[in-house]
Amino acid sequence: MSEISLKNVSKSYGAVTVIDNLSLDINDGELMVFLGPSGSGKSTLLRMIAGLETIDAGSLFIGGKPCHDLAPGQRDVAMVFQNYALYPHMTVRENMEFGLKNIKLSHQEIDERVTNAARILEMDKLLDRRPSQLSGGQRQRVAIGRAIVKKPAAFLFDEPLSNLDAALRVRTRVELSQLHQTVKSTMIYVTHDQTEAMTLGERIVILNECKIEQIGTPMEIYTSPRTLFVAGFIGSPSMNIFSVDLTQANDTLQATLPDGTQIAIDMDVPAGARYDLGIRPESVLISPTAADCTGVVKVVERLGDRTLVYVELKDGSQLIAQDAGSSTVVVGDTVHLALDKTKIHLFDQNGINVLHR
Amino acid sequence: MNAQNVGKINFVGALITLATIFAAILWAFPIYWGIISSLKPEDEVVRPYIELWPDTLTFQHYWFALTQTQIGRWYINSIGTAVGVTFLTVTTSMFAGYAISQLNFPFRRTLYWIILASFMVPTQVLIINHFVLIANLGLLNTWAGIILPQLIHPVIIIIYKQFFDQVPKDFREAAVMDNAGEFRILFKVYMPLNWGVTTAVSIVTFIWSWNAFLWPFLAVTKTELMTITVGITQVNDAFGVYYARQLSAAVLAGFPVALAYLLFQRKVTEAITLSAGIKG
Repeated sequence: MSEISLKNVSKSYGAVTVIDNLSLDINDGELMVFLGPSGSGKSTLLRMIAGLETIDAGSLFIGGKPCHDLAPGQRDVAMVFQNYALYPHMTVRENMEFGLKNIKLSHQEIDERVTNAARILEMDKLLDRRPSQLSGGQRQRVAIGRAIVKKPAAFLFDEPLSNLDAALRVRTRVELSQLHQTVKSTMIYVTHDQTEAMTLGERIVILNECKIEQIGTPMEIYTSPRTLFVAGFIGSPSMNIFSVDLTQANDTLQATLPDGTQIAIDMDVPAGARYDLGIRPESVLISPTAADCTGVVKVVERLGDRTLVYVELKDGSQLIAQDAGSSTVVVGDTVHLALDKTKIHLFDQNGINVLHR
Repeated sequence: MNAQNVGKINFVGALITLATIFAAILWAFPIYWGIISSLKPEDEVVRPYIELWPDTLTFQHYWFALTQTQIGRWYINSIGTAVGVTFLTVTTSMFAGYAISQLNFPFRRTLYWIILASFMVPTQVLIINHFVLIANLGLLNTWAGIILPQLIHPVIIIIYKQFFDQVPKDFREAAVMDNAGEFRILFKVYMPLNWGVTTAVSIVTFIWSWNAFLWPFLAVTKTELMTITVGITQVNDAFGVYYARQLSAAVLAGFPVALAYLLFQRKVTEAITLSAGIKG
């Protein structure tokens, strides 16, 4: 069993709090992604689990064992660093053997583990090379191999793909996903890239300003963001957000968009208050006939399978809509927009999704 | 760039080259003069005019220095003390540099400032303290007495600290995650990344120690324990000064250092640049 549990952990640097009373449970064998913008505390949290940063308050359990006071090497976790941290003066084999020699495993055991890891990662022929003789992708594999040979309870990845080019990143992402299925170990993966988070993570922890905004599966987070921050952070392009007033009219709750458009809201929330209304671009469609609102096309982005249309409403506010890949819409067109009311999110003045209150 | 400018640059370049050659001759001439004089008979050396080449070439002074003095013993003393000073200085500086750069312990910063401040204290100022201390320890006229006060080289600690500071933090963290202790991190990760520095500072420390005169001169009074720099002062007799004889002993004393410099020229220059960068 290698579940990881953080109970009320905090971390400060002087007067600056970077992790504030955070609790989190990661299941055995789960691939959990920490996602957040720069400075959100995701890397610090990972380093606290690794033991590279001390935990000021709270507890950490790995496989049920209290670990917050243990040295990094005794926590039974392996870390893959952003810059790989391969020792340049050692060959690939020596890099992989280094940790095993430190714990004084037998030569035979070391040899077996290195050979096995090299086979899994398809780098048998690279074992006698030095890191400087490897490509970025190969170095990445060696860094992962160095972690695998330790057979740790959990793997910690600190933005491991950020130094790779776009094509290699996609390929390595798939390989990491396959690796997780092969080794079936608990993995924590830190990234600021939402695509990586959505494609790799079984669950995602969204961090912002030292706190957890939401924990959930990628689809839960996408379809039901708990906070305004999550709604804006997840999804590309971002969710359309408007500040609206809710009014009651003839048993119907109406939201008024900045351009005056009235939209019926089918939610059980009190009227007379101000909310932020969010709707994803794919829920705003170009309609051939008059629909919820009308605007002038300012920008068209053709992505092949779909077209993103940036529409300026009457009051000057902007709404991003989605049309088919074969869309004939061009800049300057006046278009009708139909909003899918079932996909509307309302956030209260504290930025909390009313469905999560 | 037009032809006029090219001409101007070439002219300036030629002037600089000439000035450099002149400076090199000026610098090298005393060495040439010393070597040539050591190959002249004594009466030619004291002639009142300059002779750039000896009338009679002789190796008798070298033969005298090698057979009639304890130069062999002095060589051994110099090699022993210089190797000891080099090994101990480099080892202790490496540990100190690593500790100051990588470890957290109370008063680390204060210790660093003390080491930096020690640059301002010339060795000569401490000579009397060293003498009293070594005398009280009963180490005068011993190799240990010659070696111990020469181990104070704050510049090497600072060089190591700077190099260890430059090693990416990830390497240390990866090693810590891999269960490596501090000694293993130092010797398996940090030192292999800094062998060039260690080689350079070792050569320079060896040369410094070999050339040291003032302290070995005070610490040793027995002829058989003298280092070569002190020993050459003994190459005289009751009938006065023999310049050629003393110069031949000086050439023999300087020969190993000159050889070391020629062999490891690049490393020595590198080390001097490193220490000059820190001192400056």
